[in-house]
Formats: sequence, C-alpha cells, structure tokens
Amino acid sequence: MRLEPLELWLDLPETGNLLPQLREALRLHVGDSVQLLRWAITAVDSSVAGSRRLRIEAVLLHRDEQ
Amino acid sequence: MTTGLLPPPLPTLMVIPTGIGCELGGYAGDALPAARLLAAASGCLITHPNVMNGAALYWSDRRIHYVEGWSLNRFAAGDRLLRPVASQRIGLLIDAGIEESLRHRQLQAADACRATLGLDIGPVVTTEVPLDVALTRGASGSSWGQLARPDALLRAAEQLVAAGATALAVVARFPDDGGSDALAAYRLGSGVDALAGAEAVISHLVSCEFGLPCAHAPALAPLPLEPDLDPRAAAEELGHTFLPCVLVGLSRAPSLVRPDQARQGDLGADGLGAVVAPAGALGGEAVLAAHGRGVPLIAVTSNRSVLTVDARALGLGAEAPVFEVESYAEAAGLVLALREGISPPALGRPFRALPA
Repeated sequence: MRLEPLELWLDLPETGNLLPQLREALRLHVGDSVQLLRWAITAVDSSVAGSRRLRIEAVLLHRDEQ
Repeated sequence: MTTGLLPPPLPTLMVIPTGIGCELGGYAGDALPAARLLAAASGCLITHPNVMNGAALYWSDRRIHYVEGWSLNRFAAGDRLLRPVASQRIGLLIDAGIEESLRHRQLQAADACRATLGLDIGPVVTTEVPLDVALTRGASGSSWGQLARPDALLRAAEQLVAAGATALAVVARFPDDGGSDALAAYRLGSGVDALAGAEAVISHLVSCEFGLPCAHAPALAPLPLEPDLDPRAAAEELGHTFLPCVLVGLSRAPSLVRPDQARQGDLGADGLGAVVAPAGALGGEAVLAAHGRGVPLIAVTSNRSVLTVDARALGLGAEAPVFEVESYAEAAGLVLALREGISPPALGRPFRALPA
C-alpha cells in the first residue's frame, strides 16, 4: 500500500453535470485498481472554447503495493 | 417569538476546504463563529473538522454535525447517511514517531477530556512503526502531504475498531518547522496552513477504510513566542497539543450508515437545503455533489484563498441556483430566508416583472 500525489489537466464538455463527467475522466486516467483518496479542482483554464479545462490535484491510494 | 414558531431546520452543508489559505477558516478553527451563526440560521449544520477545530478551543452545539472530509463527500453524494448519537467511544491512535514527552502531553490531553468533560476515550494504540509524515505543496499553492507507512496507520486503526472504538482520533508526528518563511507568513495571517493537507490525507484514509468518524491532530514541538501572532492562528499556540478539539468534535460526531440501513432521524443528502462555500473554492467533491443534486449553492466572495475556482469558471448553475454573497452574515440571512420559504430574489433590487 502506498500513496502517490497526482496533478493533471482534464478537458471536459462545457455543459452538463460536472461531477459525473469528472469522476469518469479521472477513472479513465488513473484506472480501476487505484483509488482517489483526496482530490480537488485547483484551477480552470477558460481560454479553451467549448470545453471546461480543469487542473486536478489529488492523492492516490495504491492498495496492492508495499 | 418562541422557538415553537421557528420553521423546521434546513440542513445546510458548510465547506471551507483545508490547506488553501482561506481568509476565514484557513487558520485555527477561525470559521467557528461563522459555523455557529449558520447553525443558528439553519437549525442543522453539517460541517467538517477544518471548520470546527481550534486546537485547545472548540464549540459544542447539538445543531452542528462534525463530519470528516471523506465522509462528508460520501454524504453529499448520497452514499452515506448521518445518524446522530448521544456519544462515541473514541479510540486514540498515536504515531510511534512521537517522542516520549510529547506522547505524554497527548495522553494527558485525552485524560483531561475524560476527567473534565466526561468523554469516553480509549483504548490507546501506538503504531508499530513511525508513520513518517511529509508535507508538500501543490501547483496551486495548496498544502498536501504524504505518509510513508499508511499500512501501519490502518493496522493500528484496525486494533482500535476491534477493541470497540466507534470513532478514531489520530495523532501523528509532523515535521517541525525550523522557521520557514511559510510558517512565519501563516503565523502573521497571510499564508497557507502547511499541515492541513497531510492531516486531511490521514483522516481520509482512516475514514475511507473503516467508515467511522475520524479526525486528526498533529504532534509538534512548541514554537517560540511570536508577539505579532495573528489572532486567527492563536488557538494553536495555547497549549501543548491540538487534541482537545478533535476529541470534543468526535465525541458527538454522527455515525455513518449506508442508505440501505436508513432509519428515522438519519440525515441524508436528499434533505439538504443549502450548501455554503467560499466563492473561489467550489471545486471539491462535496460541493459539486450537493450542487449536482439540486441543492442551492451560497458562494461567499469575501472568503478568498489561493484558488479561483468559482461558479462561472466551472459552469455551475444549471442544476440549482448559485447565490453569491459577500459575507457569512449575508449567507446566514439567505439560509434563514430559504428556511422560512422566502424566495431570495424578493430580498434584492432591482426586482423584475414576470415575462408577459
């Protein structure tokens, strides 16, 4: 078991309920075997037309590693 | 007016994210006055340790439900309900990395809460190895953190649960700061709490694993006197430990139950009437989950932080209204209006006619 910091940018559709979109994008990025222990959107890049570009900071929990 | 004339409570979620340098709530329990006001306005406030913990200072109010961040996220998402209880039996988990004198201080703080406040605390378990906490900063300037031995933390917590603890207080040795600019800025009232992010990681991990109320207090060597100490940070410099507020908060923290175990009196996200958060820090799971469920969002613009993640940038507002207010006093007024069934637009001007 170990913890790992993560920082990434995600591009999501401009409209729609944000949280389900975000959860799915994060799941695709980190995979099903890793758990997002804590995360937050810490910046939004509004310069990209037609999408929500979000910076995520997070801590991942890897359960199967020493 | 008598209390019998008050409308039913409006369960309200108050979030002030930890470790992002909020002007109000970014220090040592300095959001407590705002929480007390929102509790009075709503009759039922659900909030988290960062709002309530003032080291040796605390406030106990039956209308305030103390819920750790991971559990708060699950509650807001509808995955967990909150069940009010008369008291919790608090297991005390102590990091083996704490030196003996500091360890005694923690135990004496726990004994003081037993003897003076009548709290049910024990047993005490020490981790088999030091947790080895490290502090980090994210690109945003938010505080984050790590611990090298999460396995040791969870094994100690498991022993406490097996011994009958229904809530878990964790005390971990945090690295002493030898006088950094960041610490100086925090003590003078202009910085980010460097400890907060790691504290949240620890309590999230324990809550996630065991589904019990949990909160964390850091163990640190005392700091030299700072004559110009900011009042918002002063609560952390009153004593030898940060533990009393954690023990008091946990002593009446609601239990967490799954929706399929619901019974009368449990609080669920479907009963939420409002969520209150800093206007520039709306990108956390609890706020997004509650708002996505149609809960009105009250965004407090004066509570600035290192983040500028606001409703406009996130494209919020389609699922439920977003009300921007200047202060927590204004937020409390809006909560009271919602509780009374007064439509918020009627309280402002100009007031537009319905479309013909």
